[in-house]
Amino acid sequence: MKFDLSKLKKRPSHPFESIAVAVAFSPRLESVLSEAKRIKDLLGSSLLLVHIGEKTKKKESLLEKAMATVGIKESDATILWEPGSPVNTILGLCKYHIIDLLILGALEKENILKFYLGSFARTISRKAKCSVLLLTHPSIAPSKVKKIIVSGVDSPKTAHTLSTSVYLAEKLGVKDITLVNEVESDVMAMTMADSSTAPEASKMKKEMVQQEESKLQGLIKNCKSTSVNIEIKTIKGKSGYAAGKYARDRKADLLVINSPDKHMGILDRIFTHDIEYILADLPCDVLIVHSRI
Amino acid sequence: MSLKFSHNDLFTLLLAIGVMLILARLVSELGKKFKLPIVMGELIVGILLGPTILGWFCPEVFAALFPKAGPAKIALDGITSMAVIMLLFVAGMEVQLQIVLKQGKAAIYTSLTSMIIPFTLGFCTVWFVPQWFHYEEKYRFVYALFFGTAMAISAIPVIAKILMDLNIYKTKVGMTVIAAAIFDDLTGWLLFSFILSLMGKEGEITSVGYSVGMILGFGLFMLLIGRRIIDRALPWVQSKLSWPGGVLSLSLGLCFLCAAFTESIGLHAILGAFIMGIAFGDSAHLHEKAREIIHQFVTNVFAPLFFVSLGLKVNFIQNFDPWLVTIVLFLAVICKLVGASLGAYLGGMSKRNSIAVGFGLNARGAMEIILGTLALDAGLIDEKMFVALVVMALVTSLMSGPLMKRFIE
Repeated sequence: MKFDLSKLKKRPSHPFESIAVAVAFSPRLESVLSEAKRIKDLLGSSLLLVHIGEKTKKKESLLEKAMATVGIKESDATILWEPGSPVNTILGLCKYHIIDLLILGALEKENILKFYLGSFARTISRKAKCSVLLLTHPSIAPSKVKKIIVSGVDSPKTAHTLSTSVYLAEKLGVKDITLVNEVESDVMAMTMADSSTAPEASKMKKEMVQQEESKLQGLIKNCKSTSVNIEIKTIKGKSGYAAGKYARDRKADLLVINSPDKHMGILDRIFTHDIEYILADLPCDVLIVHSRI
Repeated sequence: MSLKFSHNDLFTLLLAIGVMLILARLVSELGKKFKLPIVMGELIVGILLGPTILGWFCPEVFAALFPKAGPAKIALDGITSMAVIMLLFVAGMEVQLQIVLKQGKAAIYTSLTSMIIPFTLGFCTVWFVPQWFHYEEKYRFVYALFFGTAMAISAIPVIAKILMDLNIYKTKVGMTVIAAAIFDDLTGWLLFSFILSLMGKEGEITSVGYSVGMILGFGLFMLLIGRRIIDRALPWVQSKLSWPGGVLSLSLGLCFLCAAFTESIGLHAILGAFIMGIAFGDSAHLHEKAREIIHQFVTNVFAPLFFVSLGLKVNFIQNFDPWLVTIVLFLAVICKLVGASLGAYLGGMSKRNSIAVGFGLNARGAMEIILGTLALDAGLIDEKMFVALVVMALVTSLMSGPLMKRFIE
């Protein structure tokens, strides 16, 4: 399969013009398709259904039945049956068809061995060259998204992630977004342990938080949305872990994060950081925005 | 001599501890006004109270406050040994391996070259110019290993403070320096534990294999399994046990158990404390307040006792060898500057920023002094080398910030 990577590079992170769904013949097939249809209808995107595996009569009829149940007409979607390794084939197809959003069903938590070795959905999330939506509790009658939380880590990618979140919120009719500012305090504890007075320590903490918040304020200004209100929330904790915990505690419907900055290997899972904290235990549906910069 | 801990011994011990803590705090606070590191004030108090000044001018007072033998001396030695174990536990808590993994090419190159080049240059200097150093011939290899490690080690807290003062902690240069310092500390302390475990076993080839095997086995077990168990248990500990007492006693209890274990298998106790510190400090569940309390408790109570006690052990004037101090300081600065700057440059940084990275990593701080003390206690180095290392640690810490500021773009 040959793909023209130049078409992918610098392609904006949104709108999601093309959506792909990884079809697995599991009990959650209909609910994943139903969620995909809803998103496709709201965003006006094209839909590609991909199954990696042999095309059999039985599978064909199962898929047709599921599509009919959720209301996807044959003319609404392109169906691809591809042999090969699930991860590499899906990744290749997404590049070939210039997919903007890949939708996958995912368990909240994998068993330890599977997590370290890399499960299908997690591996794709780490490697995809497009945005990935992981659905933890897909439903045939999807409920309205109300709470969107966006991780505001200090990265050039965050501007794209925030603007994609605003685009999605506008389409989904969500009024408020919480932009989470994660402050890692490990270094503060270390540097202030022996040489800072109480006012110095609190001043240092305050300045650190203010610096981060002013950066995020700059990003919010650039979003220019009139219908979506963005609020900054500062929380303490390790990057990734704190955002995931906050999303769980607040019972968020969607957590939006950046795609990884580098190839994530087994060492990144052993010494967990950033996205790996979230992939280890998905707090809710997670959208990983690939900004293609 | 009776080893019973008498009323008099208790009085002497309490008096000594009280004087050490209060004077250390006063002098350190005074030093802070002149932007001097806290550890410098603590060392000065040690020098004032020790054989260098008090022992010279008022030997009776010195002997009464810090007896050379007896139960009070044993108790004070026990407390300072505990202090060094706790300091290494806190040093381990500062090792955030994720920071190294998160950074890109520049951090990986800098981490490797800032460790390998100073270590190799330090090792080769001892090996090829032995006349500059004083050691027993049978310890030549171990001494060379030690000197290489002493050249390679960094001090994360000093470096982090400098980066924060310059407001560049979160920049690429800042994160590269921190990532490399973490890597240097981790490999440096593992290497030093190996060196200590070799002491007294010179010539026994099996002991080298045993030491390496035990260090790797213990390290891997703690970092892969122990760390996970602690991470799982922490939320329960922090929510079900008294706060912050529960997490404080558990953390230090585990630190001492781990230190006891490594000591019992022939490795030094510091290794157990250091690895436990990494396992404990790595947990995302550890509350910020708990981290702060552990740091405050160790750095403000036990660290002063330890650093003041160094001045009690050694006469800094008698053992000040200008030639040795010059060699050690020159080598330390050149080795680290060349090693770290080269890595940063190869990793894609500009010349000026690469040099700034080199000067940032040059700060040795308290870690070098701890390393020197342990080597002195183990009989690997003499007092002159110890004094040279202390001077080098202080000078490199003082020069790091201004020189970084001068070069950073």
